[in-house]
Amino acid sequence: METSETSYAEAIRAGLDDAMRLDPSVFIFGIGVDGVSGVFGTTKGLVDTYGPERVFDTPISEQGLTALAAGAANAGLRPVLVHQRFDFSLYAMDQIANWISLWRYISGGIATMPLTIRVIVGKGWGQGAQHAKSLHAWFAHLPGLQVVMPATPADAKGLLVQSVFSDDPTLFVEARSLFSMTEDVPTEPYRISFGKAAHRRFGNDVSIVTMGSMTPAAIDAAEELERDGISADILDLRTIAPLDMASVFASVRRTGRLVVCEPGWGFMGVSSEILAQVTEEAHSSLLAAPMRVSWPQTYSPTSSALESAFYPGADQIAAACRKMVA
Amino acid sequence: MSADIPSPWELFSSMLKIRRVEELLMEEYHPADEMRCPVHFCVGQEAMPAALGLVMNPEDTLFTHYRSHGYFLAKGGSLDAMVAEFYGKDSGSNRGLAGSMELADHAAGHYSGAIVGGPMAIAVGDAFARKYRKSEGLTVTVFGDGSLDEGVSYEAMNLASLYRLPMLFVCEDNGYAAHTGPATRRSGDIENRAKAFGMDYRETDDKDPMALLDAVRDAYQSVADNGPVFLTVNTYRFCAHVGPTPDEALNYRPAEELAAAVADDSLQRLRTDLGEDAGARVATLEEQIAQSVEQAIRKAKSSPFPAKSLLGEAAASNTAAGLIQQVPDLADFSAFTAGQQEAKLEPY
Repeated sequence: METSETSYAEAIRAGLDDAMRLDPSVFIFGIGVDGVSGVFGTTKGLVDTYGPERVFDTPISEQGLTALAAGAANAGLRPVLVHQRFDFSLYAMDQIANWISLWRYISGGIATMPLTIRVIVGKGWGQGAQHAKSLHAWFAHLPGLQVVMPATPADAKGLLVQSVFSDDPTLFVEARSLFSMTEDVPTEPYRISFGKAAHRRFGNDVSIVTMGSMTPAAIDAAEELERDGISADILDLRTIAPLDMASVFASVRRTGRLVVCEPGWGFMGVSSEILAQVTEEAHSSLLAAPMRVSWPQTYSPTSSALESAFYPGADQIAAACRKMVA
Repeated sequence: MSADIPSPWELFSSMLKIRRVEELLMEEYHPADEMRCPVHFCVGQEAMPAALGLVMNPEDTLFTHYRSHGYFLAKGGSLDAMVAEFYGKDSGSNRGLAGSMELADHAAGHYSGAIVGGPMAIAVGDAFARKYRKSEGLTVTVFGDGSLDEGVSYEAMNLASLYRLPMLFVCEDNGYAAHTGPATRRSGDIENRAKAFGMDYRETDDKDPMALLDAVRDAYQSVADNGPVFLTVNTYRFCAHVGPTPDEALNYRPAEELAAAVADDSLQRLRTDLGEDAGARVATLEEQIAQSVEQAIRKAKSSPFPAKSLLGEAAASNTAAGLIQQVPDLADFSAFTAGQQEAKLEPY
C-alpha cells in the first residue's frame, strides 16, 4: 500500500477530502473552516476544491448549527460540524443529548442521524480552564452517540472517514497537541471501523490501555520499562463508544495487570468504566489492583509552571506500572 | 400548494376530525389508564393544523412542538398509528418508544418533540438540505409563544434568514407557556423579534378559519418567492395544558377569558357558515369520525407491545451506508507512530 509522511492535521484534512470527493452530500461548516489557515490545517484549501456551498464559515451559534446539522442529517445529508475547542460544543448539549443521540431510538429504530461533530482539545500555551477540557466521557455516556479519539495520523484519517459515512452521530475528539505528529499514512481512501482497539505494542507483564493524546506517553513509558525488563502490552482504544472491552479482557487475562491512561478526568471517566468492567469480568486474572493515570480533579492552569504539573506523562505511567509489578 | 382554494367543507371536516379525536381520546384516557404517557391535547386550536394540512404538499416537512396531534393527522399521519403510539404498542408510529410527546411520521414528513425550541432549530437543517439539493418544497415549523423564550429560537431565525432558507415559521400564540402568561416571560413583542432578523412578519388569528387558510396560503406562496416568513396565529387552548382533565383549579388564567374563548369557538363559527343544509352531511361525518376513533382505540388495545429486544435494537446500529462498503477497512492494521515499531498486519 502506498504511503506518504503525513501529520495528524493533514491526515484529518485528507480524510475530509476523501469523504467529500466520494459523496456530494458531505459538507463542512463551522467557524473558520474556509479560512486561509483552515482550522490548524485540517480544512485548508477544501473550499477551493469543493466551493463555498460545501465548505462555509458560520455565526457563533453552536446550538443552532448543531441543530442545523441534525436537520440536514435527518434529511439525508452528511454534515461535518467543526468546533475549534471541545469547550464550545457545550452550547449544543440540548441538541446532542435531547435530540441527536436519541433520534434513532424514538423513531423506533428507523431514522438515522449521519452527522459528525469534530471537537479539538486544547493543550499548552496557557489554554486554561475554558479551552482545554475533554468531556469525551460525558458524550460516551449517551446511548446512540459514537465517540472517537484518534491517537495517530493514520487512525485519524480512517476513523474520520468512518465517522462521516456512519449512519449514527459521531463526536470526533481531536488532540491539538498531536496535530504535528507525523507518520506514514496510506494515500488511498480507507476507513477504520469502530470498536476495535489498535495493538500498539506486544507485552506480557502489564496491560496499558490508552486513548487519544496519552498514547505517545504510553509508548515512551513502555520503552523505559523495557529497559528494566518489564514488557508492556499497549492497547490504543481508538473509539470509546463503542468500547473494545474484548481486547482489554484478552490482554488483562494474559498480563494480570492493568493501567488505563486517560487524557481527561479519571473521576467518572472512561478509565473508571474500564476498571469497573475488568473488575466485573476478569477479576480472577488480576494480580494487582488496576490503576488509572489521568488528570487531577481540577482545571488546566494557564500558568506554564503549573501546566506541566497538571498533565500526566510517561513518568507517571511508568511509575504506575512499576508499582504494579513490584 | 394547489392552485385551487380548499372549500369550507374541507376545512371544517379536518377541524371537526381533530376536535372529535381529541375529545374522544380525552374521554377514554381515565380511568382506563392504558395510554400511559403525557398527552397535550389541542382543543380550541384546530384551525391552524387543519389549514396547514390543506396547504402543505407531501414533499414538505413539518417540525412541531408537542401539542401535535392535529398536525400529525393533517400532515397525513395515520390515526391508528397515533393512538397505538399512546398505548405504547409496536404498531405505534414510533413503535411505542416515543408516546405523544415525540410523535413522528417519517414517511409523511412530520416530526415533533418535547423540548421547547428544538424542533424549530432542527427544521432549519431540513430547509438547508432543500437548498443544498436545490429541491422543491418548504420546511414548516410550528412552535408555541413559549418557544420564543428559548435562545436557540433566535439562532434558528438568524440562520434561516441569513441563508435565505425555504421556511415558514408559525408561532401559535395561545398566551401561555404551560401555565405561565406572557407578562412573566416576555419583554417586548413577537413582531419585533422576527423583524430583527429581517423576516417577513405577519400576524392573524384563527377566529375565521377560512381567512386563516387564506393567510396560510399567502404566507406559503411568499416563502418560495421571498424567503422565510414568520406567521403569528393568535389562538386559545380550551383544554388543559397536559392530560384530559381541566386544569382551571390551578388558577393561571381568568375564568372569563376561557369562557369567552369557548363561546367564540371558530369550529362552531365555521359550522354555522356551512348552513342548516349541511346538517345531514355533518351527521354522517360525525359518525365516520366516531367509528374511526373507536376502531383506532380497539386496534390499539388489542395489538401487541414491542418486544423487549427493541430497547437495544433501536439504540444503535454501528452501521455505515453505501459508499463506505467500497472503501477498505484497515481496523486490523496497527500502524505505529514516529518510526518506531513496525506495523503488524495480523489481527491481535
